[in-house]
Amino acid sequence: MYQYQDFDQRFIEERVEQYREQTERYLNGELTEEQFLQLRLRNGLYIQRLAPMLRVAIPYGTLSSRQLRALAEISRRYDKGYGHLSTRQNMQFNWPELASVPDILADLAKVQMHAIQTSGSCIRNVTTDQFAGVADDERVDARPYCEIIRQWSTQHPEFDWLPRKFKIALNGAESDRAAIHVHDIGIRVDRDATGDVVFDFLVGGGLGRTPVIGSVIRRGLPEPHLLTYLEAILRVYNRHGRRDNKYKARIKILVRAMTPEVFAERVDEEWAHLKDGPSTLTTAELNRMQGCFSPPPYPDLKDRTTELAEQRLKAPAFNNWVQNNVSRHKVAGYAIATLSTKHTGVPPGDVTDAQMDAVADWADAYGFGEIRIGHEQNFVLPDVAQEKLYELWKRATEMALAAPNVGLLTDIVCCPGGDYCSLANAKSIPIAEAIQRRYDDYDYLHDLGPIDLNISGCMNACGHHHVGHIGILGVDKKGAEFYQVSIGGHAGNDASLGRIIGPSFARDDVPEVVERILDVYVDRRIDTEPFLSCFRRIGMQPFKDRVYASAG
Amino acid sequence: MPVLVKDLEIVPDPWRLIESADDSDGSTGDGCIFPFDYWASAPRPGQACNAGFWVDGGVDVERLRDHLEGASLVAVKFPAFADGRGLSLGVLLRSRLGFGGELRAFGDILPDLAQYLHRSGFDAFLVEDRRAAEVAITSVASITDHYQASVLQPQPAFRRIHTGS
Repeated sequence: MYQYQDFDQRFIEERVEQYREQTERYLNGELTEEQFLQLRLRNGLYIQRLAPMLRVAIPYGTLSSRQLRALAEISRRYDKGYGHLSTRQNMQFNWPELASVPDILADLAKVQMHAIQTSGSCIRNVTTDQFAGVADDERVDARPYCEIIRQWSTQHPEFDWLPRKFKIALNGAESDRAAIHVHDIGIRVDRDATGDVVFDFLVGGGLGRTPVIGSVIRRGLPEPHLLTYLEAILRVYNRHGRRDNKYKARIKILVRAMTPEVFAERVDEEWAHLKDGPSTLTTAELNRMQGCFSPPPYPDLKDRTTELAEQRLKAPAFNNWVQNNVSRHKVAGYAIATLSTKHTGVPPGDVTDAQMDAVADWADAYGFGEIRIGHEQNFVLPDVAQEKLYELWKRATEMALAAPNVGLLTDIVCCPGGDYCSLANAKSIPIAEAIQRRYDDYDYLHDLGPIDLNISGCMNACGHHHVGHIGILGVDKKGAEFYQVSIGGHAGNDASLGRIIGPSFARDDVPEVVERILDVYVDRRIDTEPFLSCFRRIGMQPFKDRVYASAG
Repeated sequence: MPVLVKDLEIVPDPWRLIESADDSDGSTGDGCIFPFDYWASAPRPGQACNAGFWVDGGVDVERLRDHLEGASLVAVKFPAFADGRGLSLGVLLRSRLGFGGELRAFGDILPDLAQYLHRSGFDAFLVEDRRAAEVAITSVASITDHYQASVLQPQPAFRRIHTGS
């Protein structure tokens, strides 16, 4: 992990005091609501329906056991004993007092954490594959580049007052687990034929009101030019992005208006001035950053295939968990364990202080003290010795963190929705719960196979409904909560946007609609064809016919 | 009364802002900040004359290139403090066009913007009142050093501090 040096620590502490002073001026009446809004957003503080919400950055989804314990302590001291894992690798607290936020930030700074730029029209927390550094399909570990971008984008003198929020995601594995096609900038990190690290840049992807798949504007950018090229993109956007209409202010609108080709030319013109300038990465800096993410000292272990098979045979529930929640590690004898927060009856992504403490303890006991969170709102323990999997599973079961549903229908991605968020048109959590209650039979879930079901409470699409295989969007219909359903979205390598099936549904009808969609799939699939492939093959009509057939 | 901060000190403002060409009285006089279009079309003031122009933050910087000669001041208007186009303009005026005169921000200048302005090449900003000016000066000093390069510090931290030794 990246460890703060004196430089980082001083910066973060000064930033806390700067925000403390801003808060004091607001409370003294020196700053208007609108003025303070912009300042607090740059420190992750929203004013929500019930209380302020503080969004803490978990840079590229990586945190230490010490940091997770600090988050647990914050949830106890300043909140109601729980936090919420967001879809962008952040942790949100829903009940802090506005006046105590500077103290919370000071507590975070003690463990090298912050809430800088987790909201507002600026460069947000950079995200990546939650398996970075350990995945067996990894080509390049993206974390050093994430940290380089985190530092570069932190309180940038020129790019902290953009037309709109700006999200950057990186992915260095064969499988895209970072949804790089639907970010303002998605960066594919790869190696060229000679083994040097290069970047492909996708620009103008995004969800929200106008979902768009990003366009490739540059392939094979050599490693040292990462920051100067980013600077060129951000400058073109900052100068030319629309500021007259917030719904047309994202970079995707600019890229579309200019066309990706012209946008790329503008970036190249700008980059010509910046290329090889002082922000060009030095070998020393690249080495330093890569050194921060060097692998932990793995003891020499062998794969425990036979022992695991015996354990799985004896305990079907453990077998289910291994099948869905355990992923291949690049080092023999190790495994990656995903701890699902998607227990029926619990809002997706919500975790209690006790769960946080427990996960921190397991990270120490079974790994190297490191935890990840992914955009699917689950915890990940990246380095579990295979011989410890069974023990971990038993303890995770006791803490309600062992639902064997990762990647399945009930591993629902869901925003906080109308229960908490003042932007929402409709509630999202009760929909998730109703679906989870209906589908509590693991064997059936497993038979359905990988299905991403994503729910957003409004057009802002925090629940990423456009890229759910099944997407559900809360809409306001003459003051009543309705839900629009889409099918065929996907956030991975062959990303696609879901298509709306037809007129929207009342809340109570949604589980039935989902069931009919799944029935069509089960009837029409060929052998083990996954849901997404089946939809792509047979198209929307069969689903539409079944869903809108009169209730039988 | 707006208060001027120049080089991080509160100073009297010797300049007069001419809002529109209609108010210019045909003046090419000392101490005037003219609208850019007027400045660009009018006969250029003489060498001895201390004058400058103002633009909106969103102006195409290339339009300014041929009109900087003889300008001892360029003022950039921020229509709203959250409109960061003026920051990019400041950076480009300094780093690309090599403008060396006074670069002033005016309009809706929240004192908390000063730290960004200062690092993006602005050496002067006009804020609402004396209190705002004091806050602006303090806010610039509140962060000792930053990660990335800027007009003020063209070397990023990784070239100055973490040199890999």
